[in-house]
Amino acid sequence: MLMETSEIAPAETAGIAPGAPIVHGTNVGKTFAGGSVVALEGATFDIAKGEFVSLVGPSGCGKSTLLRLISGLIDLSSGQMSVHGDPVKGPRTDVGMMFQKATLLEWRTAIENVLLPTELNGTITAKDKRHAAELLELVGLKDFMFSYPSQLSGGMQQRVALARLLQTGADVLLLDEPFGALDEFTREHLNVELMRIVAEFGATTIFVTHNITEAIFLADRVGVMTPRPGRLAAMVPVNFPRPRELSLQTTPEFNVLVEQVRNTLGSH
Amino acid sequence: MAVTDQVAGEGGGKPLMSIGMRRMINHAAIFLTLIALWEFGSRIGWLDPLFYPRPTAILESFWRIYVTQANVWHHLYVSLGLVFIGFAAGSILGVGLGALVGFNPVVRRFLQPYVIVLEATPRIAVAPLLIAALGFGAPPKIAIIMLVCFFAPFINTLSGVVNVNEEKLELFRSMGASKMQTLRKLVLPEAVPVIMAGERLALTAALSGVLVAEFILRDQGIGALILTYTRNLNMASAFACIFTLTIIGFLIFKGMEVLDHRIAFWNHSDATDRMSEKRARAWGNLTGGRNV
Ligand SMILES: Nc1ncnc2c1ncn2[C@@H]1O[C@H](COP(=O)(O)OP(=O)(O)OP(=O)(O)O)[C@@H](O)[C@H]1O
Ligand SMILES: [Mg+2]
Repeated sequence: MLMETSEIAPAETAGIAPGAPIVHGTNVGKTFAGGSVVALEGATFDIAKGEFVSLVGPSGCGKSTLLRLISGLIDLSSGQMSVHGDPVKGPRTDVGMMFQKATLLEWRTAIENVLLPTELNGTITAKDKRHAAELLELVGLKDFMFSYPSQLSGGMQQRVALARLLQTGADVLLLDEPFGALDEFTREHLNVELMRIVAEFGATTIFVTHNITEAIFLADRVGVMTPRPGRLAAMVPVNFPRPRELSLQTTPEFNVLVEQVRNTLGSH
Repeated sequence: MAVTDQVAGEGGGKPLMSIGMRRMINHAAIFLTLIALWEFGSRIGWLDPLFYPRPTAILESFWRIYVTQANVWHHLYVSLGLVFIGFAAGSILGVGLGALVGFNPVVRRFLQPYVIVLEATPRIAVAPLLIAALGFGAPPKIAIIMLVCFFAPFINTLSGVVNVNEEKLELFRSMGASKMQTLRKLVLPEAVPVIMAGERLALTAALSGVLVAEFILRDQGIGALILTYTRNLNMASAFACIFTLTIIGFLIFKGMEVLDHRIAFWNHSDATDRMSEKRARAWGNLTGGRNV
């Protein structure tokens, strides 16, 4: 690679992705307000098929910006980026996004919300309906298919949003603090389920969080980001076998990684 | 009031009557006392019976204008017909223009100062001008009703369309929705509750609008009838007309409430529960092809 400076060196040396790269970025940068706000600078990364990457870092370090760039919701200011080998030019069907808020349509039942992406792509068939019902079952909402968002708890709403994300058929899933607004118990529970589900789908996942423990627990690699300007400071590999239990978080090996991520965050 | 039913039971045994029932009886008692006071006061001369006719006289008038003379029906028919036409035209125009302006930032910026000026002007002040311009009969009346009906739906639709949830817009964009799809499946449905609130205001305004128009034109309609009765010092009949309008106003209010529960059901938990059950039953026949 033709990287000139050492700024992104840690990310470079943090191990090449195990499979074929699905998401690829070279020197990705984004500025706002006519260049006066540098949201992200010189991010270079490769994410392999089926890999789970967490992005962690303090507020304003460009995590959401990076996700929105990958999703094609906003355009690059500098650098190159591709998904499945195609340069990202705008929103695309093979990339799906989930936000901190469930953003469900209140006038639709859970299953109608899950079917929304299919509906936007054409007509809904009986097969689509069955698929949506299966997805709701997968996220544990079999008995709430016909509930409206206002009848569901925050955690259940996020489950619907996850089912909707899977219904898009995207194999690159971008999750921006998806459970950040939920209480800790619900969040831990959903994290475990998320791991199981994305593994089952073989989806490539990028997961943004403020929580270092959560980031490490879920990920194959943790992208550590630092602010002013936003940078991808390091990619820390996490080599614990799967499936993982919550008790993993209390092992010394796990805490070594937590320290390592924390030091990377602190040294910038 | 499911909760209040329980409280009365305290003190052992079955409650003789629920609190809701007792409250109703209290209300009725107070109401009847007031009416009796009015009747009594009017009879012994505390109240000038010329301007404050006895309740019994008003009842007699009700009987006369609805049954024996039966002249009120025609006027009601005329007024309510105009209310309906003017409301429909004014609010459709309001919603349509509101959506158009809302979707179009350039038009919005251009129109903003005019909207502010028009909003600050009492619309009813323009009524005599409309009559001067449109002459007699139904057209100026409809124009006046349209005028008073237009603004609430217009402003509410505009703000509903402009204030679409940013995150939902982003979601639609990330799913590759077209402009038209975003409009139909996100922006408009999301604006429905606030549009409904505008329609409610508009319909109430329409009733006042038709009265003002009839007061000015003095030709026919319930407003003209009230005017005739008061000028002839037949206050009992005027009161009977006014109470008729009270009832109509109440029915409009209730009707709009029912409509709001049906159309913007997701804003009312009871209506949402009912809808949810309905959707579950509809799903029973899982057939292909049809949109959910
Ligand atoms: N549309 C925008 N216009 C101007 N500045 C923006 C815009 N979006 C993001 N920024 C700026 O870019 C920087 C990075 O923002 P970003 O939302 O990516 O941070 P983040 O890491 O997701 O933060 P958080 O953890 O709070 O969500 C911030 O300084 C933010 O103010
Ligand atoms: Mg963010």
